[in-house]
Amino acid sequence: MKNVTSIGVREKFISSAQNSKILARKCKDCNTIMLATILYCEKCHGKKFNLIEYPGKGYVDTFTIHTVPPEGFEDVESYAWVVFTVDDVLLRASGFLPGIKKPSDLPIGSEVEVNGFDKKHGLVLKKI
Amino acid sequence: MESVCILGAGSTKYGKLDESIIEIALTASVDAIESAGISPEDIKAGYISNVFGVADKQVHMAPVIMSNLGLSHVPGLTIESACGSGSVMFREAFANIRAGFYDCVLALGVEKVTHTGTNQSTTLFSYCSDFFYEGGNGASFPGLFASIARAYMTKYKADEEDLANVAVKNHENGLLNPKAHVRKRITVEDVLNSPVVASPLKLYDCCPFSDGASAVILCNEKFAKKSGKPYIKVIGSGRGGSPAAVQGRKDISTIPGTVIAADQAYKMAGISPHDVNFAEVHDCFTIAEIIDVEDLGFFQKGKAASEIRDGATSRKGRIPINPSGGLKSKGHPIGATGIGQIVEVFEQFTGQAGERTIKNAEIALTHNFGATGASAAVHIFKKVN
Ligand SMILES: [Zn+2]
Repeated sequence: MKNVTSIGVREKFISSAQNSKILARKCKDCNTIMLATILYCEKCHGKKFNLIEYPGKGYVDTFTIHTVPPEGFEDVESYAWVVFTVDDVLLRASGFLPGIKKPSDLPIGSEVEVNGFDKKHGLVLKKI
Repeated sequence: MESVCILGAGSTKYGKLDESIIEIALTASVDAIESAGISPEDIKAGYISNVFGVADKQVHMAPVIMSNLGLSHVPGLTIESACGSGSVMFREAFANIRAGFYDCVLALGVEKVTHTGTNQSTTLFSYCSDFFYEGGNGASFPGLFASIARAYMTKYKADEEDLANVAVKNHENGLLNPKAHVRKRITVEDVLNSPVVASPLKLYDCCPFSDGASAVILCNEKFAKKSGKPYIKVIGSGRGGSPAAVQGRKDISTIPGTVIAADQAYKMAGISPHDVNFAEVHDCFTIAEIIDVEDLGFFQKGKAASEIRDGATSRKGRIPINPSGGLKSKGHPIGATGIGQIVEVFEQFTGQAGERTIKNAEIALTHNFGATGASAAVHIFKKVN
């Protein structure tokens, strides 16, 4: 794979998530780390990267719980949509965390882990 | 470079409208043309903003509207930038007048969505997010702003009453706007007791889905002066961008595109935030207005909630915000919203705002963004006496 290409990156991101990992891109010029789905370096606009899989563990930055779930999520009893920071990396991602019924179930800073990628619900998280 | 002026403005009522998208677009266009006192043949180009035309079985909006105005030979351009479509489109119309390509153009925003119902509208709006990470992972639009609200409230120790104060103030203003969608006085208790949509946001923290169309006539100053009609000047214009996904922002309690756009607009106008006498800002959710007024430089970060509580943003406050009622009360027909804000400024500065009039105002700002702020635009206007 060329250093900068969009071909297959999302599929690779999804297969990493299926292995509880977050696929990132580390810039060879300035060491900035971004989600693999962003193509050029956001900081120096460099084109050369190493693809790195980070353990998909992190902590909750913010979240919401919908009273009425949007289309495609009606089959889930209750869930939180979560923005989290990957441990030890200045990198955020977001995902779907089932089983959260009320805000007190998920204090800010709670630890979460990537628990797969669901065809219907996207990046799935679990509380750890 | 040409000075850019607004010579006329028109708008339908915002709300649930029965007419087709083309009919409401034409109504607002004709109102703007009549208000400017121009002949249709004066219009050299049509700039149209719209997002969900497909929901009313119409895309390729600009040429269809121009044709129905009897101006099929006039070039039209349709622009989509989610909820920021109107201001993003206005910027292109502004740039073309400023550059001297045209002396007079129509800028029209239009949206028709209420006939699809709340569920379908919610789905359509979720397509404005970075869907792979947001809509596709279960975030609705209120859900995204709810997450932003929780991040802001955690960082700055704001509470749900702080959010409610924004809704109460904007509903108070909307009572004076005959074209507002939701004309209803509400209390902080009403907001706090309304059902939770996406925690921590409740029903009254959210703007309504609205239909509506708004239009303005832009021209150069020579054209405006020759017309003999009242006009206002556009003295600043800025555009900015933010990461499309909330996760991409270093600080979730600010919208980078607003800061960039405002900085550009203030520089072009040669003014600072303290010179602005009132502003129409993007309050799609109450939290958005709190963040906007900080990002626009009216208040320090983290201070807006207490300033709003103390009345600084009310019609008689230090910096009145959303005298029209804002998206919250006036309504949010997303393709029209950015132009609707400019219609309000035109009415304020040409003696047509009635009881909403902000006394002694000379400089006004409009701020509008797409989705959670990925595309933002700020414009600054000056009254011409
Ligand atoms: Zn770099």
